[in-house]
Amino acid sequence: MWWKTNKWKVLLPAAAVLLLAAAFWLGGSSDPKPTAPAQTGLSSAVPAQTPAPVLKAAPSPAPSPKAPKSTKAPASPTPAASPAPEASFTPEPEEPTPPPIPDNEPDRYLTDPVPEGRPEPVEPEETEISDETHTCTLSISCETILNNREALDPDKAELVPEDGWILRPVTATFYQGESVFNVLQRTCKQQGIHMEFESTVMYHSAYIEGIHNLYQFDCGDLSGWMYSVNGWFPNYGCSRYQLQEGDVICWEYTCDLGADIGKTAE
Amino acid sequence: MNHRDSLSSFHPTVAFFYFAVVLVLSMFLTHPLCLGISLGSALAYNLVLHGKKAVGKQLFFLFPMASLAILVNAAFSHAGTTVLTYLPSGNVLTLESILYGCAAAAMLSTAILWFSCFHAVMTADKLMYLFGKGIPSLSLALSMTLRFVPRFQEQLHRISDAQRCVNRGTEHGSFLQKTKNAVSMLSVLITWALENAMETADSMKSRGYGLPGRTAFSLYRFDSRDKAVLCWLLAGGFCIFSGWASGSFIWRYYPSIKGAGLTPQAVCAYLFYLFFCLTPTALELSERARWKKLRGVGTSSGQGGDSHGKQL
Repeated sequence: MWWKTNKWKVLLPAAAVLLLAAAFWLGGSSDPKPTAPAQTGLSSAVPAQTPAPVLKAAPSPAPSPKAPKSTKAPASPTPAASPAPEASFTPEPEEPTPPPIPDNEPDRYLTDPVPEGRPEPVEPEETEISDETHTCTLSISCETILNNREALDPDKAELVPEDGWILRPVTATFYQGESVFNVLQRTCKQQGIHMEFESTVMYHSAYIEGIHNLYQFDCGDLSGWMYSVNGWFPNYGCSRYQLQEGDVICWEYTCDLGADIGKTAE
Repeated sequence: MNHRDSLSSFHPTVAFFYFAVVLVLSMFLTHPLCLGISLGSALAYNLVLHGKKAVGKQLFFLFPMASLAILVNAAFSHAGTTVLTYLPSGNVLTLESILYGCAAAAMLSTAILWFSCFHAVMTADKLMYLFGKGIPSLSLALSMTLRFVPRFQEQLHRISDAQRCVNRGTEHGSFLQKTKNAVSMLSVLITWALENAMETADSMKSRGYGLPGRTAFSLYRFDSRDKAVLCWLLAGGFCIFSGWASGSFIWRYYPSIKGAGLTPQAVCAYLFYLFFCLTPTALELSERARWKKLRGVGTSSGQGGDSHGKQL
């Protein structure tokens, strides 16, 4: 009798538990691999190591104590909307003179200090693109997938070239002031290579989600696209890297957050 | 339409089984042929159930929704190997994303059309009959929810009529007065709804609803006709599901379009799917034809048109 009246009270929770267990097992969450926050560590976005507050009121030294009601003052604390007044505090945006930010603090786009001798990030809207043309070398490679085929999405297997090169090193022309992203976009358009990006406001840069239909996370939870210029993997997005004559850009697919393409944690 | 269609005259188990299988298949099979079959059959059954005018009205709503689904997918999904052109945002527009949007729109419309048939055939009393024993409170809540909107509409109509009689309708007085009247009508409606819900709960409780050993009155019999149709549905469903398991319905949209070929086995599975989806339409049409024939030949032409569904 007890069973008859309370049958559903026992059976329903049991069924729910079974369903949840099945979903958990089939969903692959039982995989011991750590599901690291892969997106923040990958290519064009920035490895956000210290999630410091974004609104740091970037130009900390007040413009002029005598004129608190000047038109510049209210605009400055919002980073996204203040490229023009910003430029007035730092008259020469080209040269590495990071004035208002302390040395060991991330900047307003969460970029940690750039190592000695490497170019500082340049905001795209602060640069003038001139008619002066230069050349650089660009290549796109997914060689790491060749060693990780078992982790690759089976639908994508046919897309991986035999030797891993999606685009062998080519010479690309760019205008003075253009970024790595500009060159990648133009070259992909010219060569008919599929590419998808997303504009990330937080890091103030484009984030390359996929090239040649090979997307982030297609080859494991730690996979995605990264770029290096002259052998260095910048710690900021590709829209903020201003190119110089003769730079060598390599776009590489990583299956292990960069450890398999020579990027070491800094 | 006040007359019942053929599937409505079957045992609720048969009808419910049919809709459950068809809805699951419609929502999981992405093969364009399957989508086409299901969409076509849903349209045909809707035509039989509700008539041309109602289907035209449905399409009037479905068409913009489907177009929106296609547009949204093409605008926000950039995967796919066939690059057509570049969007203003700088990302690519691919053929695959457009086709996937079409498939999603077809699936959405199909599900809505099937649910419209479900609503017409599986009335609240049938759902109560099917689930009243196993999950009484859920089925009561379900049947109350299903009746919620039509009952509210009717009650609002009554309230508005009564208010109009005492010169407090929404067409009397200034703008402010009209608004006040409308708000007071809404207040009456909500008071009624809350009280009604409590009364329903009390009345069901006082009748011993959901107690063990309680039986419910119903007129459903599982006769030989139900058996025959259920056998066909089970056999057809088995063939479709085995075709699904053997990969006849495989289709992918990204990164490039690729799907199962037209092997004899696959064609067989598609045909079974077509016949399965068209079952209620075929039942209804054959009964109509038989009724016409009987009326034309026999002497019993004096009978009302309403009973034709139960004459077999």
